[in-house]
Amino acid sequence: MILTVMQISCRRLLHNRVELLLTFIVPIAFFSIFAVIFGGGLGRGTTPRIKVVTVDEVDSVVSRLIMSALKEQESLRFVREEESSQLSRSEAQELVRNGTATMAIVLCKEADQLAAQLLADASDQVASQVVSAVVNRSIMLSEAEYQVSQLGVSDASESGDQQNIAATNEGNDPDAEMLGIEESLSRKVEIVDVMGEGKANPVVSMYASGIAVMFLLFGATGGGGALLEERENQTLDRLLSTQMSMDQLLLGKWFYMTAVGVLQVGVMFLWAQLVFNVDLVGHLDGFLMMTVVTALAASGFGLFLATLCKTRGQLNGLSVILILTMSALGGSMVPRYLMSDQLQQYGLWTFNAWALDGYTKVFWRELPVDALAPQLAVLLFSGVAFLLAARTLAVRWESD
Amino acid sequence: MNYLRSTPALAIHDLRKSYGDLHALRGVTFCLERGERLAFLGPNGAGKTTLIRCLAGLTRADHGEIHLGGKPLKSVEARKHLGFVPQEIALYRDLSTRQNMLAFGRFYGLRRSELRNRLDWALQWTGLGERADDLVGTFSGGMQRRVNLACGVMHAPQILLLDEPTVGVDPQSRQRIFTMLDELSESGTSILLTTHHLDEAEERSDRIVILDQGQVVADGSIEALVKQSVGTQRWVRLRIDRPLTAPLRVGAAADAALIGTTGEDRISTRIDDVSTHLPGLIELVRRRGYGIADVQVEAPSLHHVFLHLTGYELRD
Repeated sequence: MILTVMQISCRRLLHNRVELLLTFIVPIAFFSIFAVIFGGGLGRGTTPRIKVVTVDEVDSVVSRLIMSALKEQESLRFVREEESSQLSRSEAQELVRNGTATMAIVLCKEADQLAAQLLADASDQVASQVVSAVVNRSIMLSEAEYQVSQLGVSDASESGDQQNIAATNEGNDPDAEMLGIEESLSRKVEIVDVMGEGKANPVVSMYASGIAVMFLLFGATGGGGALLEERENQTLDRLLSTQMSMDQLLLGKWFYMTAVGVLQVGVMFLWAQLVFNVDLVGHLDGFLMMTVVTALAASGFGLFLATLCKTRGQLNGLSVILILTMSALGGSMVPRYLMSDQLQQYGLWTFNAWALDGYTKVFWRELPVDALAPQLAVLLFSGVAFLLAARTLAVRWESD
Repeated sequence: MNYLRSTPALAIHDLRKSYGDLHALRGVTFCLERGERLAFLGPNGAGKTTLIRCLAGLTRADHGEIHLGGKPLKSVEARKHLGFVPQEIALYRDLSTRQNMLAFGRFYGLRRSELRNRLDWALQWTGLGERADDLVGTFSGGMQRRVNLACGVMHAPQILLLDEPTVGVDPQSRQRIFTMLDELSESGTSILLTTHHLDEAEERSDRIVILDQGQVVADGSIEALVKQSVGTQRWVRLRIDRPLTAPLRVGAAADAALIGTTGEDRISTRIDDVSTHLPGLIELVRRRGYGIADVQVEAPSLHHVFLHLTGYELRD
């Protein structure tokens, strides 16, 4: 009996292509995405290149050597390279705040010693560590190079100097020297967070938006599934035999799904405000704008998928695959700064990436609403495009 | 909307529809008069559902014309007067009776007091006033069919299309549904329904159209169809007092026919004129030495008509 149940279940699985896909292909695809992200991105290198700008307030031989050394680092990508020599500290900080650069490397003087301040965006927790190490190394090597070059310049008194150096070194305690170097390093590189100051739980809002977008998509495809159910039980036929047109039906569904999506995200962020101290009220205008267009885009996508599929089962399978993939690539599950440049580019084909960028601008960077123009435009365009595609596909439901 | 007296409620001319190599409708032509009840009969695959869908505007015919009250089907004005009740229970099962009726009333363009009045009428008509606020998904099949029907007539259509309105319901619910349809018919609504049930077609319609393989093979009242197919013949069944020892010869030697089967105590035959030929048949049987235990005379039914016209049984 038990064996028979197992056999029947197995046969049913083999006859159900959607279920086979979900059981065996989707996990592989998902694992592959994460493997690419963490185990070696597509394109150049295994670590994403960090966007930086530089400011040289010292303008000495050593500082210029340090700058040259930094520019040779593969892990750094210099933005506004042609302007960097003219950038001021405040301008560099602004570039970090508005997301143009992840970090600003400012070479300055502290107590007559050359030091570096890293003006950082604390949301990228990897960048601070990587750049700090790179800058440290560059400073050490550049200073050493300078010292060597100085030794080479004074050739005439080389022997005397060498004896002096030897005598100096003989009298030095090696441990004290190491301690001195360490102290020197610790003074040289300072990380300054220019983003998270004054914010309570700044990173929570970013993760809230990532999860919110993913569930907007799931909700939208659920709404689209209701349309398919109506078609299957001939309620759709009945509706189309009344005075209602397919245009009106789809628009009604679109607006309804958008309204539910806005409410869904609103409740989620309200919870974030109450429990995790996310400042929703202080960013209401940007939040509402981003939420409405993201919900419009997700709803259009949901309707498009529903009109593409023939059955609810097909829709469920397809939507799970697509939404999970989009969420992984778009940053809903893993921050995009962990991905290679190429994967980040691919992510721009997803709603998630644009929506997350928008919410980041609102809650993290606290930019004015006009800075949201690219995100709003892309999401709104996507929503309308998908709705039109759904309308085109729904023609076959109107009259076969 | 004014109907001309001579304008039928529904006129279909040379309707054709194919799905690839499958010809679902092959030149269907008929009319539905105002207040008339028309039953479409036919086996599975005859084209009934395709026809209904064409009339409801859900399927685009390849060729032909459909006019509602003299106006083309596609016009908004014409479609206001059409009601459609699909075969499936096309309702929102997670809404109540009232909510479903209100929703479909609004979809048909009803508003405010007119909608409220029609809602009250529909609840009374279906006999579901006490279940107005219960979810439709909790109803029996028969009750759901009643709500299904009501949602198709909220706007008081001139023409009502029903696709198998009583499929899967118990006899009591069927009776209730047909009582509801009778009330509609008496108020002037023209009804066109498809059915597999011969008794429904015979008892509940003024006219019957028989469809087979996409073509109309018969169109008329039951009496007319019987007359033009099997004619005035009647089936006569005699039960005799003992089994036949041999078939009985009936008629003159040149035209003699054999009736009955050796070993059976029943004799079945068709005779044209009962009043003239039945006494002679009974006398013949008696003269052969058999007593008559029972006599049954059966009028030809739609079943016989269908069999005569199509050559096969009407399958459920």
